[in-house]
Order: sequence, then structure tokens, then C-alpha cells
Amino acid sequence: MSDASINPSDLPQKSESLLVPSKLMRRRNAAETRYKAYGIAAIVISLATLGIMLITIFSDGISAFSQATLRFPVTMDAATLDPKGNRDIAEMTKVTTVGYKKVLEKSLIAELVLRQVAVDGVSEKDIGAFISGDAPARLRDMVLADPSLIGQTIDFSAFATGRIDGYFKGRVTMETAKLDSNISPEQLQLADKMQEAGILDVRFNTKFFTNPDASDTRPESAGLGVAIIGTLYMMALVVVLSLPLGVAAAIYLEEFAPQNRFTDLIEVNISNLAAVPSIVFGILGLAIFINFGGLPQSSSMVGALVLTLMALPTIIIATRASLRAVPPSIRTAALGIGASKVQMVFHHVLPLAMPGILTGTILSLASSLGETGPLLLIGMQAFVVNYPSGPLAGGVMEPATALPVQVYAWAARSDPAFIERASGAIIVLLAFLLVMNIVAIILRRRFERRW
Amino acid sequence: MKDLRVERDVQTETNKIEARGVQVFYGTNHAIKDVDVDILDKTVTAFIGPSGCGKSTFLRCLNRMNDTVASARVEGKILLENEDIYDARVDPVQLRAKVGMVFQKPNPFPKSIYDNVAYGPRIHGLTRNKSELDEIVEKSLRRAALWNEVKDRLHAGGTGLSGGQQQRLCIARAIATSPEVLLMDEPCSALDPIATAQVEELIDELRTDYSVVIVTHSMQQAARVSQRTAFFHLGNLVEYGETGQIFTNPKDPRTESYISGRIG
Repeated sequence: MSDASINPSDLPQKSESLLVPSKLMRRRNAAETRYKAYGIAAIVISLATLGIMLITIFSDGISAFSQATLRFPVTMDAATLDPKGNRDIAEMTKVTTVGYKKVLEKSLIAELVLRQVAVDGVSEKDIGAFISGDAPARLRDMVLADPSLIGQTIDFSAFATGRIDGYFKGRVTMETAKLDSNISPEQLQLADKMQEAGILDVRFNTKFFTNPDASDTRPESAGLGVAIIGTLYMMALVVVLSLPLGVAAAIYLEEFAPQNRFTDLIEVNISNLAAVPSIVFGILGLAIFINFGGLPQSSSMVGALVLTLMALPTIIIATRASLRAVPPSIRTAALGIGASKVQMVFHHVLPLAMPGILTGTILSLASSLGETGPLLLIGMQAFVVNYPSGPLAGGVMEPATALPVQVYAWAARSDPAFIERASGAIIVLLAFLLVMNIVAIILRRRFERRW
Repeated sequence: MKDLRVERDVQTETNKIEARGVQVFYGTNHAIKDVDVDILDKTVTAFIGPSGCGKSTFLRCLNRMNDTVASARVEGKILLENEDIYDARVDPVQLRAKVGMVFQKPNPFPKSIYDNVAYGPRIHGLTRNKSELDEIVEKSLRRAALWNEVKDRLHAGGTGLSGGQQQRLCIARAIATSPEVLLMDEPCSALDPIATAQVEELIDELRTDYSVVIVTHSMQQAARVSQRTAFFHLGNLVEYGETGQIFTNPKDPRTESYISGRIG
């Protein structure tokens, strides 16, 4: 018995009474309190940061979902729109949007006169400047599709330009208008009167979700349509490509592969790949899929391939971890009863690992959903106005953008109206993420062993 | 100790398993040293010995569960009805349908009671239709003395049963494939005395159809359920013989020290 050598008098004095904590006990309690405080402080700081981030995004971005809109009857002046008067489409296409703009301008002024809105010295040209640049184009498309509209008077709604829109959202004020060559305080006063008269109102803007991107001069008509389609295509492709590949690779490595130098090397490299900066994957995608493979640039297919490469290591690691978490007793039970290894894996181990696999997969999908860098390199920040076709019609090979790239593109533009739209796009992106995480939770609940 | 039990007179003298010169290595660790043993048909054979003596390792050789351990290497011959189970032509998966195993901790699948028992027959293709499968499930559960307790909730989860019931479910699962030999690796060590008594009763009953090999830490249990006992020590088979003889008149001094509590 070696403890006989320890002299009790050498040890620190124990407290005599249980009611008085000893010195050591006090120190231990103090340490515990301290660590609890560190933990709480860390959580408070991260929650505060998250809160500030969300507040900024929402206060900047929520206004992107509403839009000042002009509604007035438009008289389709046959003399302007079809000068020859024979309703010949070929002839009518010669009338450019300039002609349609005149029609809109005239109709708006007529409406102002009808509603007895005093224009107070605002010139006709400046009244015309209320109407968004995309309205004449839209009207022209309507007329070319249905020439019988000419000569009629139709109810038409057009976006107000970005400055007017900004005035109703507080972005443009009388003071800034004085310094702004694009808008004057008189125009803003007129906008107020038009709102009173019911010609102009601010309403929920569904076009924000459906319109494609628009040029610098008309932020009001820029929307996320192409970006949402591109993102959906990419996510669907990434799931289809990465889930089977990743899960199969993980199952092989975890359950079947022999333990040797080579598999160790593969394992180390998978972990390393998970840590490779995303921009490197972008360059890889550019070199291999576009330059070597000849796939079209800016296409969802290339984007999805690059994101798949990025998601694979995470999926493999998550899948291996959840396979490893399945209790060994289940494996021995299955093997002991004479199940083959494949039967053991697919009948017993995989179903139990499924919640973990799905959670890992969806989390890595969520992170690739927000990935911007590699997509910039393969050209997805391009200005894409045409919607890609349906997925079966080869839409994945056509140019598209993605939500995070759209955020980047808008944030880089000079008009503050685009900053608002960038924040709006971030909100849409966050909504996507939220939906994916909810799906992850639901799937995990569903696949969790029920007894 | 066998006072409450019906004496069963089903002893046979045919050898079911003959092991000759079995050596097991875990890496460089020599776990089993040159073991020769004959296991009789329709007999309960108990393997006893202190922890780490290799009794479980040897048991796991009998259905090649050691194959699943990457570092394990088995030498020697183990004949199951004169066929070497370590022959290159033998598929361990097929062997395990003939040599069933019950583990230390009850390990039912997280599926229903019915699916637990039906799994073996299903993967080995033992039935042609649902009613045959139902029959096997019922027969196995009856055999494992569990039928009356679970017949009304066959489709409830197997993991919701009590520990003793779970272990009997595992036994039912093992016998559902109609094995010839049933290996049990300390089947009662996680059970309370009442459940232990039930499982022991069951083991004794199973002897009428199967050759049962049981590893146990409890010498009383070995004395209660087995007809033959093998004493392992440090990887050697020290003594093997009639249970009564081993416990009352051991030939080897090491056996005597162990059963009298001086080592182990």
C-alpha cells in the first residue's frame, strides 16, 4: 500500500464543517461560475450579431417586395402604332418602343387632366419620366401579340421609375431630389398628388419574383425570375448528382473497403477537399467543364457540377459519420443471422443512418445554395434576360444566374434601388435556406427509429 | 441445482463439431493456442474461464464471426459434420444460417417483433409464402417461450420489450432459420435473475433439437444448464469433460483453482 507514504498533515487542510465550504471548493465553484459566464457571453454575442444582421437585411430589403405602380387607361393611338393602318405585323414591328412611350405619356397626361390633378409646371417630358422604361416594351409586346388592341382603350399598369418608387420608400427625399438630375422636387410633389388621385399606389410586387434582371437605368423592373429558376435547376441537379455518388462512396469506404495505405490516403484527401476554398473549385470547373468538356458557360449544368464537387466531400464525411454511429450490435446481429454484408448495410445499417445522412446532405446543399465564388468564375454573374427553357427542353444547358450571384451583381451596381433589391434577394435566399432546413428536420423526424 | 428441472434424456454421443489444432491470432496477440474440442449433438456445452481466456473468441470461430475482425487470423480445422468450415469454398454467410448465434447484449433490430423473427427466413429464402412465414415466426416464438407474451403485439417494436424478452426474441430470431448449432455468448449477463432463469430453462429445452454452445461467466449457470464443460485459461483449453466431473472432480489443478474461486 503505497498511500501509507503520504503524510496526512502534508495535505491541505480539509474544512472541519460541511456548512463552511473549503478554500478549494470555493475555487472550484468560482471556476464553474466563470465558465458558465463565458458560455452565456458567447451565446449573447452571437445572437446579437445574428439579430443585427437580420434587422439590417430586413430593414433594407423588405421594401424590395413592394413597388410604386401607375394605373391608368391607355388609348392605343392607331396613328402612332400602326401608321400604315393595315395591321401588318411586319410594318408594326417598325414602330419602336419610342412610339409606345409617346402613347403611354399622352394617356397618362390625359388621365391627369381628367382627374384634375394640377401638374404645377412639371413638363410633359418629366411626366413621361414617371413611367418605367420597361412599360413601353411590355405594351409593344402586348400589341404585337394582339394587333386588335390598336384603337382600343385598355387599363394598363406600369411601374413608376426607381426614383419615384424610392420616394415612397423613403430612399429619395425632397432634399436629395434637389441635387439629383434624374428627379426634381416638383415631380415628387406631383407623385404625392397622383397617389391621392388614385393613379399611383404602392403595392406588393410579384414581378420581383418573376421578372428577369434589368439594366442599370430601370431598377424597378429588375427581378429574381432567372436567378430562382437557375438556383432551382442547380439544386435539383446537385441532389441528383451528389447524393447517390456521395452515399455510395461513403458506404464503400466505411463498410467494404479494406483498411490500407490507399484507403487512408483517400480518406485524408476527402477531408482536405472539404476544406478547399470554393473559388478553386470555380477555376477547376472553368478549366474542366467549360474549356475541356465544352459545356456552355453560365449554364446551370456547369454550376451544378461545380457545386456537386464541393458538396461531395461534406456528404461523404457526414454519411460516414452517421454510418459509424450505428451501434455495432446491429451489425453483429445481422451478420450472426447469416445476412450478407450488402444485406446488413441496406437492411439495417443504412435505414438507421438515414436521418444523419439526410441532415448532412441537406446542410451541405444549403451551403452550396449560398455559394457565389465558383459561380462567378463559370460566368453565372452574366446579365441574363431570357428565361431558361424547361428542364426537359435542355434548360439546364442555357445561361442562367443564381440567387447569391444576383445578390452580388445587384450590390455592385450604383443605383441605391439595386441595394434594396440585393437585400430583398438575400431575404429570398434566406427563405430558401429556411425551407431546406425545415425539410431536413421533417425528414430526420420521419426516418428516426420509431421504437 | 437441477431440482426444479425436468431431466431430459436426449444425450447423444455423435460429434457435431470437431475442432483440431485451432489457433487464433489478433494481430500479434496469440488468443487461442492449439485447441482441440469435440462438441456433441443435442448437448449443451459450456465454455467457462476467467475474462480474456479466449472462450468467446473460440465461440466466434465456430460461425466465423471472427472474419469480421480485420486483424483476426484463424488456423487449424473446425469440422461441422465432417466439413471444414474454414475451407476456402465455404461462404460464411451460408455457414451462419446453420450455426446461429445469440449475443451477450440483447440486440433486436429496431423493427417489429414479427420482422425480427422473420428476417432470417426471409433472407435465406426458407418460405414460399406469407402463411409459411407466419408459421415459422409463431413456431420460433413459441420455442423461445415468448409467444404468449407477444402474440397480441407482433407488429410492435422489438426494442420496446423488456431485457429478458428481448433476449428471448433474439433466441427466437436465431432459431427461426432452423440452425443445427446455437452459439450463445453470455446470453444472461445483461439479464436479471428471473429472466436468467427463463432463458436457462429455454436453453435446456432447446437441447432436444440443437447442439447448444454457451459461454458463461457464471459457474453456477454452467453447472445448471450444461452437460459438458470446457475450461479455458490464457488461450488454452485446460480441461474438457462431463459437467459433473469438471465441477466435482477436476483433473487439472488450474480448473480446481478456478472453480473453487482461487483464480479468475
